[in-house]
Amino acid sequence: MSLDAELLHKAVAQLHGSSVHHDLRQRAVEDLLTQGFPTTRDEHWKYSDCSPLLASLGARLYHDSHPVDDVEMARLVDVESYTLHFVDGVWDKERSDLPAGITVTSYTETTDLFAPDEESVLSQGFTSLNGALASGGVMVDVAEGLSLDRPLAMMHSSSGKVAHVRHQVRVGQASEVVLIEHFSGEGAHSGLTNVVTALHLSEGARVAHYRLQQEGLLQAHIGRLAVKQQRDSHYCSHLLTLGAAWSRVDVVISLADIGANCQLNGLYLLSGRQHGDHHIQIDHLAPHCQSDTHYRGVLDGRARAVFNGKVVVHKGAVKSHSTQSNANLLLSANAEVDTKPELEIYNDDVKCAHGSTTGRLDQQQLFYLQSRGLSESEARQLLTLAFVGEVMTRMNEPALRAYVQKGCFAKLPHPLDMNMEGFL
Amino acid sequence: MSEAQDFVGREYDAGFVTDIESDTLPPGLNEDVIRHISVKKGEPDWLLHWRLQAFEHWQTMESPDWAHLNIAPIDYQSISYFSAPKSPKDAPQSLDEVDPKLLETYAKLGIPLREHAALAGVAVDAVFDSVSVATTFKGKLKDAGVIFCPISEAVRDYPELVQQYLGSVVPTSDNFFAALNSAVFTDGSFVFIPKGVRCPMELSTYFRINASNTGQFERTLIIAEERSYVSYLEGCTAPMRDENQLHAAVVELVVLEDAQIKYSTVQNWYPGDENGVGGIYNFVTKRAECRGARAKVSWTQVETGSAITWKYPSCVLLGESSVGEFYSVALTANCQQADTGTKMIHIGKNSRSTIISKGISAGRGQQSYRGLVRIGKQADHARNYTQCDSLILGDQCGAHTFPYIEVKNATATVEHEATTSKIGEDQLFYCMQRGISAEDAVGLIVNGFCKDVFKELPMEFAVEANRLMEVSLEGAVG
Repeated sequence: MSLDAELLHKAVAQLHGSSVHHDLRQRAVEDLLTQGFPTTRDEHWKYSDCSPLLASLGARLYHDSHPVDDVEMARLVDVESYTLHFVDGVWDKERSDLPAGITVTSYTETTDLFAPDEESVLSQGFTSLNGALASGGVMVDVAEGLSLDRPLAMMHSSSGKVAHVRHQVRVGQASEVVLIEHFSGEGAHSGLTNVVTALHLSEGARVAHYRLQQEGLLQAHIGRLAVKQQRDSHYCSHLLTLGAAWSRVDVVISLADIGANCQLNGLYLLSGRQHGDHHIQIDHLAPHCQSDTHYRGVLDGRARAVFNGKVVVHKGAVKSHSTQSNANLLLSANAEVDTKPELEIYNDDVKCAHGSTTGRLDQQQLFYLQSRGLSESEARQLLTLAFVGEVMTRMNEPALRAYVQKGCFAKLPHPLDMNMEGFL
Repeated sequence: MSEAQDFVGREYDAGFVTDIESDTLPPGLNEDVIRHISVKKGEPDWLLHWRLQAFEHWQTMESPDWAHLNIAPIDYQSISYFSAPKSPKDAPQSLDEVDPKLLETYAKLGIPLREHAALAGVAVDAVFDSVSVATTFKGKLKDAGVIFCPISEAVRDYPELVQQYLGSVVPTSDNFFAALNSAVFTDGSFVFIPKGVRCPMELSTYFRINASNTGQFERTLIIAEERSYVSYLEGCTAPMRDENQLHAAVVELVVLEDAQIKYSTVQNWYPGDENGVGGIYNFVTKRAECRGARAKVSWTQVETGSAITWKYPSCVLLGESSVGEFYSVALTANCQQADTGTKMIHIGKNSRSTIISKGISAGRGQQSYRGLVRIGKQADHARNYTQCDSLILGDQCGAHTFPYIEVKNATATVEHEATTSKIGEDQLFYCMQRGISAEDAVGLIVNGFCKDVFKELPMEFAVEANRLMEVSLEGAVG
């Protein structure tokens, strides 16, 4: 389905906001009208066809008049946090608790907008659509030198509506914060969460970011995470994709100043007919920056995963270090993986490597475990857990790791009877 | 580093033009040109029809722009599509009848044809511009039942074979350059190895682009029947010239049950000067189809020349347990650009493929590895191992990797590894501490870097390849 300009203009006209919002929306509308929605002819959408999604959403894409169903607020079991609640992207101010040093303003009220590197080619149409129609989301300001004692959790519940959400998070100089973005919701009808999160890390800031997507299997999820890192900042991302029938996440990191480094960990467990696409682009723009990407996926049923990781080392970004790995485990005959780890290097003083593997469980390892008395399914389970465990061990917050572990265990086929407490 | 400066300033060794009268068509491309080529070659109707079909399709196509290359638009109407050395009708029957100037050209390149042929036991089907001028060792090959001749001769003498296989691996509509080639190809080689025959010698062709402003459009077709084996060598150099020359070749390999083709290339066409002026545009479509069980194809290439290289030798692994291999060393210096790699399409069960790609980028060169590994749904237990390493020499150049990996079968195992780095300071230091000059040390290290590929080359080529690397590299290292 192609873009409906009339509906788009109409929807934009109904939105509120300051003149700053107005300008941004106009720009986004223009972008969208010139480029349209991506097709499989676009290099970055080669393996992900969004046309069935656009067709099924129809006019709801621009304005969803479905009444808001009652949704259960998502909770992170056993994780203590400061929490912001969102229903279909709209911030529930009443129910949020916030510590000192953190200022939160709703997206439509803030006049302090910073655009998440719109020139980047990755997301194309949907980021522009978000820019034009975003009505939900917040601006979070983390004060300088703050070290937050508990994670700050942004909990999103979807009722099955189409929501365009735009978050901006600015982390002050030398602050340290654990940020959680959680998406859930089992709506009665299929909706779309289209979320753009822009993150600015000031000098020396340290952020651990857990992006946990556990939406219902009727939902579609399109996310964009744009991170800009200043001098000596450290960003660690843990991305989990378990839910949604069709999902696409773009992670765009720009290492903008000397000594910035990032670690991107990702895990996607897909089954049934789920489609999960992860695109990563890391731009090394300054000397002495480091990036490490480690993504793993387990695919069952007729699931399909797409991974595209790209590291660009620009001219002048000497002493860059970058590693990238993507491993995929296929559990069924009908699963499919399309992976493309790319390197673009315009500099000689660098050390870059990437690797990618795709395969099934090692038959010898399976045999070994069975020879030790495990049943075949137990052996499979154990090896699969070990495979995903590689990513989990990189999570430094025990409570969150336990939460992710639980989510993954539930998602894997034939849950194990064994007590896996303290498995990792 | 004055020695290094000498090397940088060094001009292209093989840059000279042999003055031979050419029967050349005026620039431009239309149906009449194609008819003219067909008539000149004395081709049957079906081939003319085939060419015209390709041309018709080509006109609907657009030049591809997805490669990581910066190409000035090419005016296909400003190129002459036919150029043949004088008097093609009474083609020389033996070396003695060959125009001595031509032989001189080979001599300048360091390839004394007779000696080369006799000493190395290699039959050379030398292609000078577009028409073959000398073919040696024909008799010996004939005894073995091997057909090795220019493709235009094959069209005349073995029309059924050509008609059966031509375009069956790379169809006329395959891509822009393949369509162009199908419409206007003038020569190339045809090899047919019958059942159970192991070709008694390595087959070799020297390509050379000569007359100014003519593109060269080779078409090579190699058929290896059941249980046969052939090793085919292709090597190229071209005279120095200021205008970009277009080269769009198509190579088709058909491998039947238990057969094996080993295809080696050393490509050293004129790369343009240090400012990127001139140089060959090299757009090549190379594809092999392993049609039978246990068929094997091995591509080995050393790419040091051309201003622009656009080349992806591919293997379609249809047969059960068929094997595809790709070994490549590519070097880009000065303003050279290369976007090269391979495609391994696994369809047959237990099919295996190996990709070893070594890229060296120096000066202002831009180099990309672009590869596809596709494991089809039926390809149970398919196996692929890919390694692509890049070595960067200089802060003005670029090295890029774009591997596409598509897996549709859970029993397959696919591995991909890539690294990019410069020459280790510690390695350099170690060598120099042992009394080896910086230049030699770099040569040593680069040679080691390329070793995995060079060892796959036939002996004659391995020597040539080493020499090429030395010449192309030493100046580029500071």
